[in-house]
Amino acid sequence: MHLLYFDPGLGAMIIQAVVAAVAGVILFSKGLMYKIKTLLGFSKNQEEDIFDDIEIKDQDSETKL
Amino acid sequence: MIDNSKHASSFRDPSGYIFTEEGVIKRAIFPIYFKQYNALTSSGFFDSLFKNKLLVPHSEITKTEDKIVIQPDNIPFITYPYEWSFNMYKEAALLTLKLQKYSLEKGFSLKDATAFNVAFHEGKAIFIDTLSFDFYQENTPWRAYKQFITHFLGPLVLAHYHGAQSLKLMSNFIDGIPIKMLASMLPFKTKMNPFLYSNIHLLAKFEDKHNEDYKGESKATALSKKGQLNIIQSLYDYIKKLSLKEHSEWGNYYDKTNYSTDAFVEKSAIIDMWIENVQAKTLIDVGGNDGTFVRKINTDLKQALVCDIDNNAVDFNYKTIRENKETFITPFVLDVLNPSAAIGFQNKERDSFINRMKDFAPDVTLALAVIHHMSLSGNVTFEMSAQFFASFSKHLVIEFPKRNDSWVQRLLNSKVDFKDHFDWYSLENFEAAYTTYFEVIEKKPIANSERVMFLLKPKHVK
Repeated sequence: MHLLYFDPGLGAMIIQAVVAAVAGVILFSKGLMYKIKTLLGFSKNQEEDIFDDIEIKDQDSETKL
Repeated sequence: MIDNSKHASSFRDPSGYIFTEEGVIKRAIFPIYFKQYNALTSSGFFDSLFKNKLLVPHSEITKTEDKIVIQPDNIPFITYPYEWSFNMYKEAALLTLKLQKYSLEKGFSLKDATAFNVAFHEGKAIFIDTLSFDFYQENTPWRAYKQFITHFLGPLVLAHYHGAQSLKLMSNFIDGIPIKMLASMLPFKTKMNPFLYSNIHLLAKFEDKHNEDYKGESKATALSKKGQLNIIQSLYDYIKKLSLKEHSEWGNYYDKTNYSTDAFVEKSAIIDMWIENVQAKTLIDVGGNDGTFVRKINTDLKQALVCDIDNNAVDFNYKTIRENKETFITPFVLDVLNPSAAIGFQNKERDSFINRMKDFAPDVTLALAVIHHMSLSGNVTFEMSAQFFASFSKHLVIEFPKRNDSWVQRLLNSKVDFKDHFDWYSLENFEAAYTTYFEVIEKKPIANSERVMFLLKPKHVK
């Protein structure tokens, strides 16, 4: 059951299949480039980043402060 | 006083509402959302987000058949998207995507993705809308996708191409930047970028094409969970890398000012002493740049708000907070000559800066090197600025640069013919106007400078 209290945009619901396909291609090619670069030995130095990656740890793992 | 009133911003979602009871914010949940709430609680989903400090923690107060009441932890000061610096905005966007990915993995989905669901607390972004999580329905697209684009990706991409000031647009568009307008504002070359083309330009086209389908004839297509995760991941990757084109030169701001090292040290010592004397726990630094002076305070502060008109200065402050893992500073962008207004339905959904200040009621207001800007750039009289500061401060620490100060001279010279109009800008007039509203507790000139520090207390405060 969805609580439909705002208009999600019909176009936006339809288009997500296309967006997902494009995203799939982008992610795949990036992953491929990364593998090639690593193989050839010029993987980039890890830049200093103020944001973490997208993963959220489950509660049983250690908590970040 | 019992004030059992429903919060004015809490009417869109039928799952429940926020209300204030004796000054404490609480959230009521209706039976329509019980199933979700129970599943989120019993599966450990909420706990996991609390422990990772991604969702505001709550405790359950009462549970009956027709209403559950929870009490979320208090966030002393809520900032709005149009008050965030570029990297704050980015973090809020990334947080929303993180939560959606985690939700999908656990069988849930965010049913909305408005930027107003995020606040800043203890030095980082935190999600504050506990009722935004719903069950994920297999093979359905993300309902909040368009909202995410108009609330997050859109403003951030505009900021990338047109500068951080574009983020202020959100104060006019409470439900995100209209997608068609957003697409039209981006440079042509963005159509060559597959990511931006599909997420913005094509979305605008599709929305345009289908917005007259009143009969609901077109059907939403199916989208696998993997497909949706790909969208989320590619949005995350793109936004994480997004930067501003303009240079942030705020880092060396204090090298460019006319302070000798001694005067700088003396000024911060005076502030530190006065903060200790009045035993302040909370403060706001109006025009606080990158938070330099707040960091020089030795007293333990519970909450310091540092606002500035310059998005870059606020951003620099925010990065410092992240690097040092500081938890007591909340930075935000504010133009003191045009503070955030109350917006939304009945002008009540998002509160004005002044009202939020009255609720926050800081022990001390710092106004360092700001009065000459207000007076000379903004033409605000001493009488008016005194009234402004007196309206929310329990104490005011204000720095007055005298007429001979080089910054004052610079501002005066830029007035050219209009310069004579500002003959009133003098220490005597300043003191005369401010003592109408404040009593002077202490006054100290800073040695080797043209500046005087005042510790003032509003006359209406007992």
